[in-house]
Amino acid sequence: MSKQKWETRPLEVWNKAKEMRAKWQKSIDTASSERVLLAQGNCQWSIGFPALRVIEDNPVGAMMANKSDEFARVSRLAGEIIGWGREICGYQLNCWGAMYLGHQIDGSPFPLRDLVIPFSDPCDQHTKRGQAPMDYSPIPRFQENYPLYTGPQDPNRDKTMIEDKVYTTLYIIAEIERIFGQKFDDERFVASVKVSGGITPYAQEVSRFMQHIPSPLSQKDLYSFYTLGGLTKGDPGETVAIWKALRDEVEWRVQNNIAAVGNERFRWMEAHPPPWHFLKYYRYMEKYGAVCIGSQYSHMMAGPMELKKDGTWGPRFSGGGFGRTIDRPIKTREDAIRVMLGTEARGHRFKDDEVIRPWALDDFAKAYKADGAILPLWRCGVGCTVTRKEQGLRLSEMGVRVLHYEGSQPGDRTDLDENRLFDQLDVWMESQGLRKLED
Amino acid sequence: MERFHEILQNRHEYARAWKKKTGGKVIGYYEPYMPEEIVYAAGALPVRLLSQHEPDDTTDRQMYGNCACSRDILNQFIKGRYDYIDGLINAEGCQWMLNAFQTTLNNQPELFNHYIFVPDYVDGKTSKDVMRSELVVFKKAVENWMGKPINDSDLDRAIEVYNTNRRLMRQVYELRRADNPVVLGSEAMEMVLASQVMDKTEMNKILEDAIAKLANRKPRTDTGVRLMLVGSPTSDVALEELVESLGANVVIDEVCTGSCYFWNEVIPQTNRLMAISLRYLGRPHCALKDNNWRRRPAHIHQLYEDYQAQGVIIAKQIYCHPHGTDNPLIWKILRERNIPFHYFERDMTLPYEETRLRLEAFINMLKPMLVLK
Ligand code: SF4
Ligand code: SF4
Repeated sequence: MSKQKWETRPLEVWNKAKEMRAKWQKSIDTASSERVLLAQGNCQWSIGFPALRVIEDNPVGAMMANKSDEFARVSRLAGEIIGWGREICGYQLNCWGAMYLGHQIDGSPFPLRDLVIPFSDPCDQHTKRGQAPMDYSPIPRFQENYPLYTGPQDPNRDKTMIEDKVYTTLYIIAEIERIFGQKFDDERFVASVKVSGGITPYAQEVSRFMQHIPSPLSQKDLYSFYTLGGLTKGDPGETVAIWKALRDEVEWRVQNNIAAVGNERFRWMEAHPPPWHFLKYYRYMEKYGAVCIGSQYSHMMAGPMELKKDGTWGPRFSGGGFGRTIDRPIKTREDAIRVMLGTEARGHRFKDDEVIRPWALDDFAKAYKADGAILPLWRCGVGCTVTRKEQGLRLSEMGVRVLHYEGSQPGDRTDLDENRLFDQLDVWMESQGLRKLED
Repeated sequence: MERFHEILQNRHEYARAWKKKTGGKVIGYYEPYMPEEIVYAAGALPVRLLSQHEPDDTTDRQMYGNCACSRDILNQFIKGRYDYIDGLINAEGCQWMLNAFQTTLNNQPELFNHYIFVPDYVDGKTSKDVMRSELVVFKKAVENWMGKPINDSDLDRAIEVYNTNRRLMRQVYELRRADNPVVLGSEAMEMVLASQVMDKTEMNKILEDAIAKLANRKPRTDTGVRLMLVGSPTSDVALEELVESLGANVVIDEVCTGSCYFWNEVIPQTNRLMAISLRYLGRPHCALKDNNWRRRPAHIHQLYEDYQAQGVIIAKQIYCHPHGTDNPLIWKILRERNIPFHYFERDMTLPYEETRLRLEAFINMLKPMLVLK
């Protein structure tokens, strides 16, 4: 065992993040007993409805995979029986399979959804999300578009696409008021947009601090925070405060060379989610002094970043707020929605970011001085697999060593050969002249 | 009929010959939401990129997990089969096709290309404005590329040619409703597929001729069990032919490269681009876009009744997530209405023996219904 180069310490804000996630999970579990509405989907404006809680099937499915492989497997089978193919995203199969079974991991009743607000941005499987609970109950579903365009900036295209989203968002809010007899609290919504805008700059700074050698955090640390304020909803003030606390602590770690991996000598990156039931490989790589500096996915709260001409790593959209330009004071519901949506529709959609901006991953590798990249190939993934092979080729050409491994999907253990993955990691590291520092 | 078969089998040669004859440009497109009328009005030939049954020995380096349809289109590009294509358009459908579009462009960046955003929420109130705005930009892009404006009369002419084609295809499909049809499922599907790679003016002439000849054909009394085909897009008629060899006939389909391709017309209005937008948004929903107000189940059921089908074959491409996600509801509706169906997954090719065995069992199960007729 070699002498450790840098000091390591656990993150102090970690407990707070855990607490916030647990609180959010509890609020979902108790939604029906508290008689609040539970929506499948994701939307930033849900805070305007005090008695509405929103949850995506992604974190539910991921959590199921992480907590009980057995239950996740049974749930997926239930999904297959009603007609889904095995190539359907495991998050969806896990979550809605449990709905068909009627219970959760701990045997408690499955919290049925009251409405669906699908979040079609990330991938095609998201576009179709929420049809299972809609066909099951049936419950109302409110679809949106996630328009985007490629090529040069076009103000007319921006305008039409943004107007479509503004109109649809206003329409959905009005419909929820009408159908469920709930009043949308504009003041609360406006206040939350003003406050939540504060998350992005902190998240961007945290992202930038990860460029430091040694990296102050690793991918595992990021996973404790990356959904706070996004998929994991909470009090906006509390959420901004935790991001500020994280930023402060990470800044301090950078100033004092506190490392995520004490013997950092190899920096690797990822693309999209890991197998949630098998996070051991991060720790395993640390035996080689290899630190995972994250992925575009785990840095998502920072918004889209790019490598600037001067070599700095900065937000793709100017201005504060949600990483986009704020062009108005925020007074009304509509102002707040407009601020959330920004003013630009060009090339901005998570769904196709890697398809239409193929250089984005190259930039990420450069910005974080990545020596290697582990790019999973998910047989049942769409948004998380599209262009992965091409990206691997491009990174290899840049001199970044690439490892692909195959699996079903981050929430579906079926096809992942865990022992083989360890073997692959050994061979990959050894082929780069690196041996384990510890065992 | 033979002419359609010939053109479909030799579609690359057809397009090359068209180019040579007219000196025009050929535009390849991936998704059924591409407004062909605009391309045609500009004097170019829109050609739907269809997969082909050929070993895929090229795309592994660049693709993983894609459906065979999207992979094979890239495969054909890499092998030079599409060397006559001058431009590529993706009017957003599924992500695998968007991937095939972008990856092909990464290989051949010199091609003219354009991406059209097509709303996921096709029934949304403002979706038509988004679509129209996208068509304005697209029209301009095509004009710049072709070096000449597309005026209203060009658009009117193109709309008329396309609408005529749609009406003629509906006529062919109407003939399939008869108890003893004069046209087989494989023949009808071959016509629709051919129409997607042909110059529609020429197609219309051949089609009128073919319809006249069909009128003189003797109704067939030997077509057996009447089936409906539902599922992922197809690019050949192997499945229909297999069904026919087993004493059955596909009398109707709800497939994006089949009836959905021509089912509705452009309803003319002064704002031509709005008229075209409404036509494309209003076409029978593809599985991906049938996401809020579900129209597929009702449409499938109506076709089933209208064409007096006795069972449904659901053929899904492996890795086709739009259909894979839509299936549970389709199954549910069919079960609720006591409609027998057989579901299976197909890859690039149809595994012949396996499929034959399964279909034979399904058809045999339905044969008693012939007695009840
Ligand atoms: S990107 Fe992958 S993991 Fe995410 S929803 Fe799509 S298929 Fe599932
Ligand atoms: S077969 Fe399915 S997944 Fe493949 S291109 Fe067509 S719609 Fe997309």
